[in-house]
Amino acid sequence: MSNSVNISVETTCENQIREIGYDGTELYQPPPTLSESLAKCAARIDFSKTSLDDLKKEEKTAAAATDEDKDATQFQESLWPWDAVRNKLKDALTEICVLSDVISIAKDKRYLVLDPLLEEADDTKPIVQVYSRKKAISQAAQVLLSGAERLRNAHSEQRNRNVSDFHIELLRLRQNWRLKKVSNAIIGDLSYRTAGSKFGMSGTFEVTKAEETGDEDTASSSNSSSSTSGNNGMQLKASSALRVIVPAELQGVAYIKVITQKDQEDLCTAQVNLMGHGPNITAQVGVWQKTLEFAQNVLFCKELFAQLAREAIQLQAPIPHVVIGNQIRATLLPNIQLIISLCHSTTFDSSQPAPINDHDHVLEHSLHQLLREVHYKNSHHPFPHPASAPLGPTKKRMLAGPMAADRETLLDMTKSQTILEQIIAQAQHIFMRKRTQYVLDTLARDVKDPQIVSHWNAMNSPTMSCVKINIVTHGYDAIGRTSLVIHVKERSLKGICRDGRVMRLSYEPQELRDLILCQINSHQISCLITLARYMAWTVLSNSNHLGVGKVEPLGNASSCLLASPNSDRMIAVQIRCDPQIDVKVYIARSPRQDFFPSPLVPEKLWENLGGTFKEVRFDKIEGKSFLNKMEFLMASLTSNSA
Amino acid sequence: MGVTVLQPYPLPEGKSGAHIIDQLSKRLLALGATHAGQFLVDCETFISTPQPHNGAPGRAVHVLHNSECPASTFSIIDNGTGKQVAIVADNIFDLLMLKMTNTFTSKKQTKIESRGARFEYGDFVIKLGSVTMMEHFKGILIEIEYKSCVILAYCWEMIREVLQGFLGIAVGKDFPSYFAPQTIMTAMGQQQLHAKHNDIFEPMDTVKQYLEQFTNYRKHVALMGGMGSGPGGQQVGPNVHMSPSVAGLHRP
Repeated sequence: MSNSVNISVETTCENQIREIGYDGTELYQPPPTLSESLAKCAARIDFSKTSLDDLKKEEKTAAAATDEDKDATQFQESLWPWDAVRNKLKDALTEICVLSDVISIAKDKRYLVLDPLLEEADDTKPIVQVYSRKKAISQAAQVLLSGAERLRNAHSEQRNRNVSDFHIELLRLRQNWRLKKVSNAIIGDLSYRTAGSKFGMSGTFEVTKAEETGDEDTASSSNSSSSTSGNNGMQLKASSALRVIVPAELQGVAYIKVITQKDQEDLCTAQVNLMGHGPNITAQVGVWQKTLEFAQNVLFCKELFAQLAREAIQLQAPIPHVVIGNQIRATLLPNIQLIISLCHSTTFDSSQPAPINDHDHVLEHSLHQLLREVHYKNSHHPFPHPASAPLGPTKKRMLAGPMAADRETLLDMTKSQTILEQIIAQAQHIFMRKRTQYVLDTLARDVKDPQIVSHWNAMNSPTMSCVKINIVTHGYDAIGRTSLVIHVKERSLKGICRDGRVMRLSYEPQELRDLILCQINSHQISCLITLARYMAWTVLSNSNHLGVGKVEPLGNASSCLLASPNSDRMIAVQIRCDPQIDVKVYIARSPRQDFFPSPLVPEKLWENLGGTFKEVRFDKIEGKSFLNKMEFLMASLTSNSA
Repeated sequence: MGVTVLQPYPLPEGKSGAHIIDQLSKRLLALGATHAGQFLVDCETFISTPQPHNGAPGRAVHVLHNSECPASTFSIIDNGTGKQVAIVADNIFDLLMLKMTNTFTSKKQTKIESRGARFEYGDFVIKLGSVTMMEHFKGILIEIEYKSCVILAYCWEMIREVLQGFLGIAVGKDFPSYFAPQTIMTAMGQQQLHAKHNDIFEPMDTVKQYLEQFTNYRKHVALMGGMGSGPGGQQVGPNVHMSPSVAGLHRP
C-alpha cells in the first residue's frame, strides 16, 4: 500500500519545569504517577450523578466504540497496529465497568464506604493565628474584668455600709442556730433536744427586728434595716439589726462549781463553764451570738444540776446526800465532802470575779461528758439493729442468748451507775491518788538509805491508777531490788508484791506507810544475803519474822546470821522498823579469847565453839548506806589466815 | 458455769416423790446448804410432719429451756440415726418454731420438764428436780454443778463424794454415760476414741444430758404405756403387773 501515511505518535512532553539551574539545566516535575492521576480523577468524580442510566450510556458508548474497532479490524488489516489500542481500550472498558461496580457498591454503603482524600493544606501564616487568638483572649479578659469590677464594687459598698442588713444577720443566725417561722414570728430552739436530751425546760427564743435605741450617739442609731448609718465608726459596740429574746429563766450566766472540802477547807475545785469553748465568732456576728450561747449554757447547767439533784435524792448511800437549794453535798470519805453547786448570776456584770483558777479541770470536764453520754445513749441505739428483735439492748446483751450467759452475768449487765455515783467515784479516786502520792513522796524524802522510786502509769482510768514502786540501794542496784505494784482504786488500795502476795489496804494513809516500811525491812535483809554471797561469806540463817525480843510496834523484825569465809568471824544482823528502821549488828569471833579451862570444861578445844556476840556501833561505821557499811564490815573481818 | 452432772434417783417402793424430795432437802439444809430459788428445765419435741415412707423415724427437733440461762433457748435436731446437731439461740427461737408448723408439729403429749428447788452449798449448786410429763410424775433427777471447775476429769471424784454423801446411794466410779469415751471420725478419716471427760464443759452439755435423761423417761413411758396408751395416760392397773425392772417410775 503505497498510499499509507506514516503517522507518528508522540507524547507531548508537557511536564512542568520545576527549576532551572544556574547552568541552564531544567528540572522537570515528574509526571503524575498512575495513583496520583487516578486520585486526581477520582477527586473529580461527581457522585451526585450516580444514575445507572448514565453509567449504562457510558458502557454503551464504550461498547459501541469497541464494536467499531472490531469492525474496523475485520475490514482493514492495515489497521492491525491498532489492535493494541483496541485491546487497551477494551481493558479500559473492563476497568471502567469494574469501577462502576465498585462505586455502586460503595454507594450502598453496606460493604464499602468511601472517605474523601485529604489534600495538602495550604501553609497558613502563623502570625495570623496569633493575632486572632490574641483578640479572642482579650475579649474574654474584658468580660471577666468587668465582672470582677462589679463584684468589688458590691463588696466595698457593703463594707462601707455600717448598718447591717437584717436579712444578712438572719442568715448568719440561721447558720448557727435552728430557726422556724411560726405565723409571722421567727422562733428558734437552743435546747439539746435534738442531741438526745429529755429535759423539760424549753429553750425557745424569739428573733425580732431591733428597734431604734435611744443612744447618746445621735446619728448612729443604726439598728434600722433600711437606714444607712452615717456614724463614721463612732460606735464602740457592734450592734446588729436583729434582737433575740430568750426566756427569763435562761438569762444571765451560769456555771456549776464542784468543790472537795475537808472539814471546811477547800482541797480542789472545779467548774463547769461552757463559755470560751469553741471558736470565737463574736467579732463577725452580733451580740446575739453571745446571748444565745450564755442561754444555752444556763440550760445545760440547769439540766445537769436537776439530774444530779434527782439522783441524790433517789440513791441510798451510807451517809445520805444532802440537797439544799442549789447545792448538793455528798460524802466521799470520812470528813471529806463533795459539794456541787449551781451558780447562776442574772446581772451582766463585766467585772465579774474570774473563776477560781486553781481548780482541776478534770471533774468539770467529767460532769460535762457524763451528761453528754446520757444524751448520746438516749438517741443512739447500739448495733446491731435487728429487723425482728427489740431495738435497744447493748451488744453484750444481744450476745447473751446465743452464748448461754448465766444468771449472774445477766444481772451484772443490768447494773448501771448514775451520774452522781460516777462523779463521786471519780472524786474519791482523785483524792486517794493524791493521798498515795503524798505518802510515797514523804517516805521517799524521809528514808534515804534504800531509795524508793515510784513510777506512776501514764495510762489510767478515772477510777483506777497504778504505781510501781522500786526499793533499791544506791550503788547496789545489781544486787537486789524489791518491787511492788499498788493499784489505787476509789476507796482502797491493793498492793501486789513480787512474790505474789496481795494485800488490801483501806484509805488510811498510815497503812500504806507501814507496808512500805516493812518492804524496806525485808529489802535490806535480802540484799544483805546476796551481798554476803558475793563477798564469799556464808549465810548461816535468816528469818523474816523473828519472834524473839521485845514485841515490835510495827511488823516483825528480820534477821540474818553470816559466817566469814574461814569461819573465824560471825555477824548477826537484826533489823526492826519501829517506826524508824533500826539496825543492830553484832559480831563474834572464834576461837574465843576468853576461854579458860575449868573443871567442868577442861579441854582447850572448846575455845573453838565461838565467842559471845558484841554489839557494833553501827552508826559510827564508815559507809553511805546500810549495805555499804556491811560491805566494809565484812571486808574488814575477812582475814587471810588459813 | 461449771461442770454439771445429772443423777437420776431411784424411787424406793411405796414412797412418793414429794416425800423423797422433802427428805433430801432436809438433808441438804442440815449440811449447811442455802435454799436459793427454784429452777426449771423443760423440753418440747417437734416431729417432722411428712413422715418418710421408708419407715425411718422422722426428724425430731427438741427445744429446751434452762432457768440457769434465762436468755437462751437450746435446740437439738435428731435425725433418728443418732446424729445430733445442737444450737444455742436467743429466746426468739421459740417464736420461730411457731412459724414452722407446716414442717414440724409439736407433740404436746411428750412435753417434759424437771422442776424444783435450788440449793447453794459452797462452790456447789444442787438442784432437786421432779420430772413430770403432762402433769404425771415420772421420777426424780438430781443436778449437781461444781462452779469452780470446767473439766470433769479433774473434779469427778469430788462430785461423786458429795453426791454419795447426801444421797445415800452408791454412785458408780465410772463417768456418767454422757461422758463415756466415744469413737469419732477425725479429720483424716480415722476412727479415734475421744474422751469427753477431758473436754471443757459447756452449757450445751448440761442440756444434752437433760435430753438424754428425758428421752429415757419417755422410752419408759412407751414401754409401760404399751399399745394405744392415751395422751400421757398411765393406768394404775397394768403398771402394777408390769416389769419390775422399771421400778421407780410409778406414779405417786
